[in-house]
Amino acid sequence: MTPCPEEKVVHTRVIGIGNPDRGDDAAGLLVARRLAQLGADAVEFTGEALSLMDHWENCESVILVDAVVTGGRPGEIIRWDAVAERLPREAFRCSTHVFGVAEAVELARIFERLPARLVIYGIEGVSFEPGTPPCHEVLDAVDTVSAEIHRLISPRAAAAD
Amino acid sequence: MSTSTAPPRGVTNIKVETLARVEGEGALTVRLRGARIEDVKLRIPEPPRFFEAFLRGRLFSEAPDITARICGICPIAYQMSSVHAMEKILGIAIHPAVRQLRRLFYCGEWIESHALHIYMLHAPDFLGCADVVEMTKDYRAAVEKALKLKLIGNKLVALMGGREIHPISATVGGFFRVPSKEELAAIRPELEWALEASIETAKLVAGFPFPDFNQDYEFVSLSHPDEYPLNEGRIVSNKGLDIDVSEFEDHFLEQHVKHSNALHSVLRERGSYLVGPLARFNLNYDKLPEAARRTCAEIGFQPPCLNQFKSIIARAIELIFSCEEALRIIGSYEPPPAPRVQAPPRAGTGQAATEAPRGTLYHRYVLDDKGVILSSRIVPPTSQNLKRIEDDLWRFLPSLLEQPVEEITLRCEQAIRNYDPCISCATHFLKLNIERT
Repeated sequence: MTPCPEEKVVHTRVIGIGNPDRGDDAAGLLVARRLAQLGADAVEFTGEALSLMDHWENCESVILVDAVVTGGRPGEIIRWDAVAERLPREAFRCSTHVFGVAEAVELARIFERLPARLVIYGIEGVSFEPGTPPCHEVLDAVDTVSAEIHRLISPRAAAAD
Repeated sequence: MSTSTAPPRGVTNIKVETLARVEGEGALTVRLRGARIEDVKLRIPEPPRFFEAFLRGRLFSEAPDITARICGICPIAYQMSSVHAMEKILGIAIHPAVRQLRRLFYCGEWIESHALHIYMLHAPDFLGCADVVEMTKDYRAAVEKALKLKLIGNKLVALMGGREIHPISATVGGFFRVPSKEELAAIRPELEWALEASIETAKLVAGFPFPDFNQDYEFVSLSHPDEYPLNEGRIVSNKGLDIDVSEFEDHFLEQHVKHSNALHSVLRERGSYLVGPLARFNLNYDKLPEAARRTCAEIGFQPPCLNQFKSIIARAIELIFSCEEALRIIGSYEPPPAPRVQAPPRAGTGQAATEAPRGTLYHRYVLDDKGVILSSRIVPPTSQNLKRIEDDLWRFLPSLLEQPVEEITLRCEQAIRNYDPCISCATHFLKLNIERT
């Protein structure tokens, strides 16, 4: 039986970005790790943002999670619809080298290589010192974002709500 | 981002923050009094990373993987300098095919690093664009080319090293795994495309507008009798230096300066010097392969070039070389009988230098008879260039003083980016403060 459009389940890839050894910058990686353990298509991305678009090649729906610095309270969760709006570049400077997530998304937009759906979760970080663990507010946010994304991408989890 | 604040009477303070397109965390302070430059300091506040200290007590075999973590852009350089130094101590002679594979591995790193810097970091300066995103609007094809070039470099590194970032295959004595002929042959068409794209890149950047800024540089690089330098050679300069790598510390001195957590390297009694693509090009032009030299002739780029703003052309020529060299190696490749040679540990001291994308990278290790590292010394190319960057700014600024502050700032940033500085692999902003009194 061919499913009607409303019943179509869109596969979503989750990409968690960050540096595991720089405090709150690990937030995105921890979310991806949690979701991968739950069976989701979730990858930890520690490379340079320039190759991000290669990691979502052929993906219709992508959720990207990264630590951000916007001046908000530690652990604050911000969600952007990157297809509909431009990302604030300054927010994504904490976890990148020469080329940030915002630049990668804008390049992909110009090259028409954005997935049809690209949602970005930013977790507000405060400390990015080498060799330090994430603060407890960020770890709480990792729990919250992981649970929310799991509900969004897992029909079974959504049905149980 | 540039901001101007109302100054006290007679004083102009200009603060510019967030210079992107530089690897690592640094700050530049320029103090101007009228038309006189009082001070130029490239400050590196990023904390020391103590790699040399925590290598102590580790086994010699761990050095390639530990030092690779120093840089996410040029980990192969760190692996290569460390394995060569260790092999010198252990008396290991690698198989010629392994030697070729190491050159191939290095070509991958040069392709990805040079493509990144030419297009993503440096070209926007010459094209009057704020960054590569803005540049893409008018130069979409060029940026697409850069992305593809970078991807091919990444693929070559992953093929040789097991993964793109911090590859894991290199080891003392060779590789843990070497590729088959078929695996290498599979990437050949992409490298052939990359070679053509690199030639087009050189032609593009040769047409950029360059300031007139010829300087009396001392260029330093490795030099090998038969090949463009990557993994070995003597250390030479255009001012008569010609030494074995083991003599490096007799001639070069690392100095601590108050305003920088990165050491400044100088040639004893001579001062600052320059390492990197322009130095290699000037000192090894005759070793470039055919397509690279032909392109040099077509675009009129010949040694000696004394203008570091034209390092972007030298970098593009090295991009051509990297593709040509990779194709040559793949074309004649026969796998070695064993991926690596092993030897029992023994006590000794070993030095090695290889050519990282940004310039000469020196390592020295002392091992005990069990192969445990007693001490180490690592001199990366950027610390060798830091003093030279400051010297360039001292000499370049007088030509800018009549310009608006925004233009001065932009040109100073561009002059710094000439060196593709890799201050660290952590955060990536450089704050520029111009103080005018």
